Amino acid sequence: MNDRPVVDVAERQIFAMGGGGFTMEPNNPLLDDFVLSLSDVGEPRILFLPTASGDTNAQINAFRARFAERACIPEHLSLFHLRDSTRSLAEIVLGQDIVYVGGGSMRNLLALWHAHGLDRLLVQAWERGTVLAGLSAGAMCWFQGGVTRSSGPPEPIAGLSVLEGSLTVHADGEPERLPVWLASVRDGALPGGWALDDGVGLLFRGERPERAVSSRPGAGAQRVDAIAGELLRKRVEVELLGEGPRAALGGFDEAVQELRRVNRMRRGTSRGRG
Amino acid sequence: MERDGSLLDDYVLSLAGGPRPRVCFLPTASGDADHYVVRFYRRFSPDCDASHVSLFRRDQGTGGVEDDLATHLLSQDLIYVGGGNVVSMLGAWRAHGLDAILRRAWRRGIILCGPSAGSLCWFEQALSAFHGAPRMVRGLGLLPYSNCVHYDAEPARHAEYHRFVADGMRPGYAVDDGVALHFRGTSLERVVSSRADGGAYLVEPCGDRVRETRLAVEQLGSAGPADGGDAWPVTSARGRTAPAAAARRATAHAKPKPVPA
Repeated sequence: MNDRPVVDVAERQIFAMGGGGFTMEPNNPLLDDFVLSLSDVGEPRILFLPTASGDTNAQINAFRARFAERACIPEHLSLFHLRDSTRSLAEIVLGQDIVYVGGGSMRNLLALWHAHGLDRLLVQAWERGTVLAGLSAGAMCWFQGGVTRSSGPPEPIAGLSVLEGSLTVHADGEPERLPVWLASVRDGALPGGWALDDGVGLLFRGERPERAVSSRPGAGAQRVDAIAGELLRKRVEVELLGEGPRAALGGFDEAVQELRRVNRMRRGTSRGRG
Repeated sequence: MERDGSLLDDYVLSLAGGPRPRVCFLPTASGDADHYVVRFYRRFSPDCDASHVSLFRRDQGTGGVEDDLATHLLSQDLIYVGGGNVVSMLGAWRAHGLDAILRRAWRRGIILCGPSAGSLCWFEQALSAFHGAPRMVRGLGLLPYSNCVHYDAEPARHAEYHRFVADGMRPGYAVDDGVALHFRGTSLERVVSSRADGGAYLVEPCGDRVRETRLAVEQLGSAGPADGGDAWPVTSARGRTAPAAAARRATAHAKPKPVPA
């Protein structure tokens, strides 16, 4: 699992959500199904990292509730409960098809990843074709910077710089973030980038944005750059998910259902806890 | 606050003195686990002015302390650090500048204490075996020694610590569950225990071997004076005190210890 080859830049994928998915939309699986569809594996291994929340049971339970019955092999990695695991972090992370990063404190997320060397492993996984997905702190972390409320009031913060530009999230749901981000872009504290509403995800192939999709009608995205001290704001076209045929998202295919049953049986007998 | 560790809590409170000491809890190493925070308040709020700092909830207004972290922590009598993952905790502390604040707190004479990760963090070097192979972790370095906790609780710990010290880790202290080291400044002043058979050991290189010396341990709650304030010069100096308790699983049975070489 760990010796997967490095893939072309154009095949590397990051899916950054402004909010949404199982932790925020328990009754709306559209974004999470989209995440699963990004892997070309029939039943992808998907790893949830609840680091930014302090590994809360609420997030872990929501992850299990969402993915347990879907065509995937879900597990989570809690840096606060590593005692339970005998595998190394490299084994856990580099064996995944998808890594899904939850929201919370971006400052803590990056600090903990750094302390455990997980940031480096995640970039390696991305270079080897693992899809990186996440919302909020788990979306902004891949960019050069974002806006965090890790210390209370919103403020700019540097990210891992896997992707160019900056990202701000919850543009509609937490309106106090956006003005801080716009001011930071205007004065150069953050590079230009994207503002995403809750429910909107931006898919990058390599370092280029390819699609913007949404789980909610009316949710939007914008690209903002500072040009000679003025902000240039452009709307980004967003596709509403769930309007096309659902089978395309892998929901009702009989073969997939069968595969799921077989794998559940297999897991029940041969796999330990996730 | 640990199970059966209430004698150690009493002990550390007796050091803080005063009718209602200000005690702040840092549950960082547990990921700010709610149940741990609740247990802290249950234990300390009746007798103390209790608060906590959650580094994971500062955006939600439920981080315990919302004003300036430094101001709050530097006004405490006692800072109690919870157990958990020491690597995660130190990483989060550094990101929020808590490492520097805690050093200042110590220099001001605020008592620092805690079990497990809450012990390892004060030392220059610590043996962490939270996940995978044991490794050396750099703590805040207030105490210029190494530290190893849960010494009796995990069978391999003894040999691992000896190996690290033989390979150049600083000499230091190995501590059984339920036993606490009390430092004043950087000198070990007392070793206290909440159980009858708990041990603590000085582990240091000696030629090409490692010498382990069992330290004298006072059992709390047996002779009486330890949990009162009188037998211990609490009220005189609050200067530079850092009891490091290893209190988790205080009831774990001890295994026989090899005789020091």
